Amino acid sequence: MTNPILENIRRALGRPQETLLGLRPSILEPRTPASPDSEIAFFLEEIENLSGVGQKLAANEVETALKNLVSEQKIGKASVWNTPLLHDLKIAEHLRALGVDVIPPNASKHQIAECDLGVTEADFILPETGTLALRSSEEKPRATSLAPRVHLAIVTPAALRADLHQVFAEAKNSHYLVFISGASRTADIELTLVLGVHGPKNLYVWVI
Amino acid sequence: MSNTPTYIGFEEYSQHIPASIPAAVQQATSRFIVGRAARVAELPEWEQLRQAGSDIRLHTIENMDVYLAQFEEKVKAAGGHVHWAETAEDARQIVLEIAKTHHVKMAVKSKSMATEEINLNQALEAAGIEAIETDLGEYIIQIAGTGPSHILAPAVHLKKEEVAALFSKHLHMNAPDDPIELAQIARKTLREKFLAAEMGISGGNFLIAESGTLVLVTNEGNGRMCTTMPDLHVAVVGIDKIIPDWESLTVFLKLLARSATGQKLSTYTQFISGARRSEGEFGPNEFHIVLLDNGRSNILKDPIGREVFKCIRCGSCVNVCPVYKNVGGFAYGWFISGPIGAIFAPQMLGTQTARELPYASTLCGACADVCPVKIPIPTILRHLRRRVAQGDEFSKPSMPAPLQVTASLTSAALASHWVYRFGTRLLPLINPLFRHNNWLTNMPYPLSRWTKVRPLPAFGAHFRQWWKKRRTTK
Repeated sequence: MTNPILENIRRALGRPQETLLGLRPSILEPRTPASPDSEIAFFLEEIENLSGVGQKLAANEVETALKNLVSEQKIGKASVWNTPLLHDLKIAEHLRALGVDVIPPNASKHQIAECDLGVTEADFILPETGTLALRSSEEKPRATSLAPRVHLAIVTPAALRADLHQVFAEAKNSHYLVFISGASRTADIELTLVLGVHGPKNLYVWVI
Repeated sequence: MSNTPTYIGFEEYSQHIPASIPAAVQQATSRFIVGRAARVAELPEWEQLRQAGSDIRLHTIENMDVYLAQFEEKVKAAGGHVHWAETAEDARQIVLEIAKTHHVKMAVKSKSMATEEINLNQALEAAGIEAIETDLGEYIIQIAGTGPSHILAPAVHLKKEEVAALFSKHLHMNAPDDPIELAQIARKTLREKFLAAEMGISGGNFLIAESGTLVLVTNEGNGRMCTTMPDLHVAVVGIDKIIPDWESLTVFLKLLARSATGQKLSTYTQFISGARRSEGEFGPNEFHIVLLDNGRSNILKDPIGREVFKCIRCGSCVNVCPVYKNVGGFAYGWFISGPIGAIFAPQMLGTQTARELPYASTLCGACADVCPVKIPIPTILRHLRRRVAQGDEFSKPSMPAPLQVTASLTSAALASHWVYRFGTRLLPLINPLFRHNNWLTNMPYPLSRWTKVRPLPAFGAHFRQWWKKRRTTK
């Protein structure tokens, strides 16, 4: 089937054939990462620069940290991703014990939108830009990191990647990927910075 | 700014700019310039990145058909739908058709220049479909019924009191004049729209040929809302947004946010390949992409002008432009302003319609210095001035005949050094006719076009003699 737009492009460019002329020019060298500890420190520092709260926690400190988060942010309703790490850390159980109404991750969009807190796990983290990279699935719905007013992302050092090259090499076949670098923000009214305009106002990142 | 212009009267528009606009615009541009400079200083490899960005873009432009064909194939393989729109009207019909098939009553929109270009909102409204802009700045100017004054901060010309008055009137409430509270009101109002809308409409920052992926960059999260909550997502994207692969994207993502808002990365970057795979994961169950030509493929014929397609829409050229800073976005008469608008609009709309825009520049070159993909904007501006003056395949020459004759005589004289030298002997003879001290004023038409603005130094500088003498005495 002929496509008039593609034909017109070929005519305009005067291209004799439909093959690539030359190779894509080369890209800069990938970044060399520092030691895992300093990469984590770098990452947490960037999270803070982006108005987020970054913390390093041992697995047994998670319960207390959740308790503080729930009282600090007055969490009444939450949704938690269904991943092995979040299971092992008993996030949903702890939240229920704190009196939080925990709804399943694949609840309706209206229910997710009513949540105060969404808990996710990042597939990859990038220290340079303080970025969380999240793929999606039935167990890991996209709305959990978006609709609630507080987003808590839990990660392990295994998610560390040096740069975009590494993340893209691993994630480019995912049907959905989102990078989150800080809390939702705008400066559209008189250039005043406002957090939480459509997405979460508060971003917490815990490295276990 | 609601319709595609048939004539852009930059000179006239710029005479009627309220003083508040340059003031607000300069506040915004200074902020962006400082932010960009800080981020650029952090990266020692910045210049290499710019070069790589420029090289990749040029390679992509030269191979656009191959990459677009690959993109289409990959989107289809991922279960998405690809539509090709030769004209703005085609694109509007495609989107309306999709909306009608799904009985859409309300569409939520993420900021998109392609949908501005095709006036999609009016077409939707005319078909009885409510179209709601959800980027805070775009939402404000949508209620205000005006166009954008800045590419990144479209409502920057409005004071918080004016925004509060707009919200109060439009939402039937008493809105306080506090940016934080106003943003919260918008969050609450638009949240209901996100949940109720049957269709999400977005543009796209990049299209990755390798995997058929749409890349969408936003800060507020409205772009994610539009592509997460409704069951239907339609993206309208210009064919110039195509890039070869994910490796190329590493370069452009590093350049984009740093150049635009002075962030390392924008808050949210989405990579969307087709529809959702299971119901519970959210996202649309139908994904459509409309590839918009609307004259772009014709521009590819012009090897100088087509470099405009290297643009990644960061707005840094707009921020540094001394002309833009004094007139703001409205004077450019279309949705895209500043130096990039001055080289985009004349090529898209025709050199007749936008004939004043290539002249809306001092050719100072600040735009080319900051451009993250090294678009030679002043070169393209001069090239377009030539096309405007001499005419091109779309338009007749706009330069009056006497000026054309003068210009071609001058050009012939300057091209031959014998004629030039002869001329330098002749010209001082006319000095006494117009001389006023050391200046020539009130020359006859067409030279009066110059002398009514500024006097010309009297002819008679004997540079060659002076140079010869200087060399021998040395």
